[in-house]
Amino acid sequence: MERLRVAVVGLGKMGLLHASILKVMPSVEVIALCEKSSLLLKFFRKLFKTTQVVDDVEKLADLNLDSVYVTTPIPVHFPVVKTLYLKKVTRNLFVEKTLASSWGKAKELCALAQSHGDVNMVGYMKRFAVTFRTAKSMLDQGTLGEITSFEAYAYSSDFSGINESSKTRASRGSVLDDLGSHVIDLALWFFGDLEVDSAVPESMVDGSCEDAVHFTLKKSGLEGQVNVSWCMDNYRLPDFELMIRGHKGIMKVNDDSLELKLNDGTSSTWYRQDLNDNVNFLLGEREYYREDEYFVKSILAGIKAEPSFETASKVDYVIDQVKRKVNNG
Amino acid sequence: MANESKKVLLVGDNPFHGISHLSQERARARSNEIEQVEYAANLVVTSLENGASGFMFSVSDTTLSILQKIREKIGNNHPALYGIVPYAYEYVRLATRLGTAGLVKKVAKQVTLSGNLRAIITGLHGIVRNDPKTLMKTYLISEVSRIKSSIGKQHNLDSMLLHEIITDMALALDLDWIFKSYIRFIGELGIKPGFETRNFAYLANKFKEWNLDFSEILIVAPFNKVGFQMNPSRAECERALAEVPESNVIAMSILAAGYLKLPEAIEYIENLSNIKGVVVGVSKEKHACETFRLLKERLDA
Repeated sequence: MERLRVAVVGLGKMGLLHASILKVMPSVEVIALCEKSSLLLKFFRKLFKTTQVVDDVEKLADLNLDSVYVTTPIPVHFPVVKTLYLKKVTRNLFVEKTLASSWGKAKELCALAQSHGDVNMVGYMKRFAVTFRTAKSMLDQGTLGEITSFEAYAYSSDFSGINESSKTRASRGSVLDDLGSHVIDLALWFFGDLEVDSAVPESMVDGSCEDAVHFTLKKSGLEGQVNVSWCMDNYRLPDFELMIRGHKGIMKVNDDSLELKLNDGTSSTWYRQDLNDNVNFLLGEREYYREDEYFVKSILAGIKAEPSFETASKVDYVIDQVKRKVNNG
Repeated sequence: MANESKKVLLVGDNPFHGISHLSQERARARSNEIEQVEYAANLVVTSLENGASGFMFSVSDTTLSILQKIREKIGNNHPALYGIVPYAYEYVRLATRLGTAGLVKKVAKQVTLSGNLRAIITGLHGIVRNDPKTLMKTYLISEVSRIKSSIGKQHNLDSMLLHEIITDMALALDLDWIFKSYIRFIGELGIKPGFETRNFAYLANKFKEWNLDFSEILIVAPFNKVGFQMNPSRAECERALAEVPESNVIAMSILAAGYLKLPEAIEYIENLSNIKGVVVGVSKEKHACETFRLLKERLDA
């Protein structure tokens, strides 16, 4: 079987996670890893004796790579992806979400992908969770009829009780990029293109960055309220949920379950345990294995992967619109 | 063929950290009581009085306080203790807040502040030589020292397990030296080395390939009637279990995170070969009594 030659750029927790999952796939060979931090670089060179570890993406250019995973902090996605395309390191790119730190940069990357790339994808892994996939399939089949409204949240306790302003907090972009992007992607996937109607920010520390944002999205006949915060108490793991109302009933979907209440009086609940949730190798969440497996298969088959850069750039667009509304008061 | 020997029955600490794999909403809805040290210690003691033979816990400030409280309550009646390192959630949260390099610095500071001279000296060697093996050893010395200060010098740990995130990542990355070094080092301390995994079939195959001695180690992995977290499949995990040469496997997630009722969960475990015991979390006193009475009656008779 043909094996894909892959490299991973950025060895934070997401880089290590993807590198590990790719390593167990029979159709993949992890050829190189790339990390800028000198402290981590030295450590990883000792740790990964059989895999090349480099400190600059340009050093990946001679490795005849079939694909590169970009798992650096969000603000670095733009220069790294640009270099990878322009230096012809590879034509197939996977970028952890969000695609870029602004819609303008995301558009530039889409244009580059169009001219210099083949298969591309952004890591909106919630699309690969069995509960959200089942919800999408039901919505497409018209189980709820015409959708009229939704409420969504993305909460974590990542910065709950942390009073000092943190450099990492800023380097991760905003709470919208880091956490909100997942739920925005799910809303766009479920309901199609949406426009931002209003947005209200909250800053828990010093006003230097938003810790929570509440905004409304709408399109003809449909309105949605979204709440995003990384300062919630008791959200040990990031949690995402949508409550969707349609003419035929209500659906509540999150990482753990899918509840359906129809106007005819019938109701059902499916847990992950009901939805065939096993994967060949489980690390972190099952979604990571599924999205990597799907991306690899897309490259091998030479077909488009979703969410592509183009699709994912719509999330950057919504985030930009929310930020504009916030800045314009 | 069912294994008819007595089973190890362990109470787990997941509920004390606000974990429910069935539903995060359910975990949040639980009373804050469950995360209080006194309440959690009472639950462990009740479980021990009703048939549990030991306590399995992630090494965190919370569980170390629970251990101290248990010790005050039961005096010299030592339960079997199974520690899991590292407490991955806390480290992932730190990495999220500080970045990976920030996390490394924070752990180095923690080891230094632990005041354990052996850990500090070993750690300095590791940093100077930038040697992952020595750094791992340093971390383990410091964690064992933290546990000992909570359980008392006379009391020993029965097993020290590597958390599933580290086990599974090291498995995937083919880092056999991590397993070999871990087994050697923990074994030298007179503690049984163990590994928690959510990829039991993969681990069993790798360990055979690396010629690791199953009699020297303990493995904790999900086993339940609905195949929850049994990757790649229930059938593959059962086949791998039947083929391991020693009965040193403890089943976790036997209730499939609250999806199954206890009698049907036990019925499945009873019919598995090569299971050494089970670990189950409890969140209420009544739940602790009923769970361990029934487990003892059915599995430890």
